[in-house]
Amino acid sequence: MAEVRITGLHKRYGAFHAVRGIDLDIRDGEFTVLVGPSGCGKSTLLRTIAGLEESSEGTIEIGGEVVNDFRPRDRDVAMVFQDYALYPHMSVAKNIGFGLKARKMPKPEVEARVAEAARMLGITPLLGRFPRQLSGGQRQRVAIGRAIVRNPRIFLFDEPLSNLDAQLRDEMRGEIKRLHQDIATTMIYVTHDQIEAMTLADRIVLMRDGLIEQQGAPLDLFERPASTFVAGFLGSPRMSFLPGTLKLDGSAAAIRLADTLLPVAPGRTLNGAADGQAVLLGLRPEHLTRAHAAAPAQGIFRYDATIDLLQPTGSRSYATFRLAGAPVMAELQAHDVSRPGERLPIDINMNRASIFDAKSERAI
Amino acid sequence: MQYTATISRMKAAGAPPRLSGFAQWADRHFKWLLVAPAVLLILALSIYPLLFSLVVSFINYDFQVPGHAFVGLKNFERVVFDPVARWSLLLTAWLSGVSVAIEFVLGLLVALTMVRGFPGRGVIMSILIVPLFISPVIVGQAWTLLLQRPFGPTNYILTQLLGQEVTIGWMTEAPWLYASLIIADVWQWTPFMFVILLAGLTAIPPNLYEAAELDGVNAWQAFWAITLPHLAPMMLLALTFRLLDAIRMFDTIFIMTGGGPGTRTYTASYYLYTVGFTQFHLSQATAGSWLFLVFTALVVTLLVRRLLKAEPV
Repeated sequence: MAEVRITGLHKRYGAFHAVRGIDLDIRDGEFTVLVGPSGCGKSTLLRTIAGLEESSEGTIEIGGEVVNDFRPRDRDVAMVFQDYALYPHMSVAKNIGFGLKARKMPKPEVEARVAEAARMLGITPLLGRFPRQLSGGQRQRVAIGRAIVRNPRIFLFDEPLSNLDAQLRDEMRGEIKRLHQDIATTMIYVTHDQIEAMTLADRIVLMRDGLIEQQGAPLDLFERPASTFVAGFLGSPRMSFLPGTLKLDGSAAAIRLADTLLPVAPGRTLNGAADGQAVLLGLRPEHLTRAHAAAPAQGIFRYDATIDLLQPTGSRSYATFRLAGAPVMAELQAHDVSRPGERLPIDINMNRASIFDAKSERAI
Repeated sequence: MQYTATISRMKAAGAPPRLSGFAQWADRHFKWLLVAPAVLLILALSIYPLLFSLVVSFINYDFQVPGHAFVGLKNFERVVFDPVARWSLLLTAWLSGVSVAIEFVLGLLVALTMVRGFPGRGVIMSILIVPLFISPVIVGQAWTLLLQRPFGPTNYILTQLLGQEVTIGWMTEAPWLYASLIIADVWQWTPFMFVILLAGLTAIPPNLYEAAELDGVNAWQAFWAITLPHLAPMMLLALTFRLLDAIRMFDTIFIMTGGGPGTRTYTASYYLYTVGFTQFHLSQATAGSWLFLVFTALVVTLLVRRLLKAEPV
């Protein structure tokens, strides 16, 4: 177990600047998820921590020791790859134990450790099989077994569930979470799937163009996104952004969207906001519900909406309507709405809404 | 089919058939007519000569002895009890085995070196595969000039390097003449091994090596655990192709040693050529060819069986 400290890290491939100055502290035992769109530098960052890529600038410390000049094998990290990277000519047991054998560990100890790892992952009956005889989920379990058997200081996961189908992905996600609870080792996990990030992470590091856009606890990022990029990346269906103007009148504030004036929740601080400032109002589908109470509570704005589009998912339906000309999606109970064209009173929870500066797209 | 169905419908409707008897027959056997030219060509150029050669091997078919009487196994006997034939078979196995083994090791070493990127790799690769495009006759001629005594540069360079007079008869003295044949073959065919093995090496997923590096596996262990098992089918393929080609070794021998001195560098092909086309004992040469075919088929079957067993990853 160890903490990881990354300072001023850059990675360049010729003219391409993949990682552009990352500072990151990962606590001992923390589950950190690096998330972001394709090409944001998250995998490069992970591979640089592993030592599979050399950093162009900056330092990486593992357990208080600068490891920049260490070979991958000497960093005491284990990595799980997207396409498993199992040795195809070795049985499952040999795959798991190969690293220990290579490090000249006595055979009985290798066998004991392999058996223990297999037991933890529920793959004991598969030990005699070859990778080609396993399903995708089983292969990924073996790959994880190969990582845990070495008892490394840090686990690195490079999109380990991307090759699995949706159902198996859910199942494996749960297993990885349980594994972290059981062994409580520092884990760094790369994914482009925001659901994986939200469900697994103690801390999410959201990257964009080689830089950290925002980091923090999953719910912090979800509820208080620092930019429209973060707000749009996390959450499915995505947040709706409505262009408007900020109206400040003493302590009261409101957002004007064409002909509609939405009061900002009382007590909400608006950092550096100016009257007349162009803003984007960010509303997640779950911020909009069907009005049932006679009068809206504090911070709730009621709006009579005409439903344009309905996307039922079973228990819930996603209803799209126009608010001041811009499309907005509301997450309603399936029985709240029956058909497109229906007119409904919708409560907009301004207490949870996000407000961004329209120009910089940063939260205010 | 549709046409036939139309005709049947017309017949059923009582309409007179519009096609003549031949046209109907042609329509029914159209697929056979399409493949007939190819089949006839194969029959004329492959099957007939093969069967004819089988007949020839049991009769007297010799330009020096008149008549074509049935002689039983006499032609085969002549080959089997001919010490030159036995020597040529041994030499063929030995020369092809040694050449292919050297080509394999060199090809593998070059492929392992070239699999990593480095400046000038493309140019070096192009130069390395040039020998593949040269006719074996030209290769033989070039090596003859290089190794020739006393004017070839090889003895001169060796003399300068060793500081004493070197006067090796590369094409006349044993064991040097075998070395010459092997050098020419290795020079020409190592690139073939290299190209096939390089293709195999580049197909190995790089993250296997990354996983191994993180596992603390050293380069030697990684070679045995990852490279070799992945490359095995390609190795077997390259070895099979090369061995099949090497046992037909003829051109370089024809140019470099002419089978000599005496019959010292007679390979099986060269022996059969000499018996058949310089001594005109055609039936003996044909019987020898059949024996050689059986011998080759055994080797091929063995190799191909292994090749088919090599499971894809």
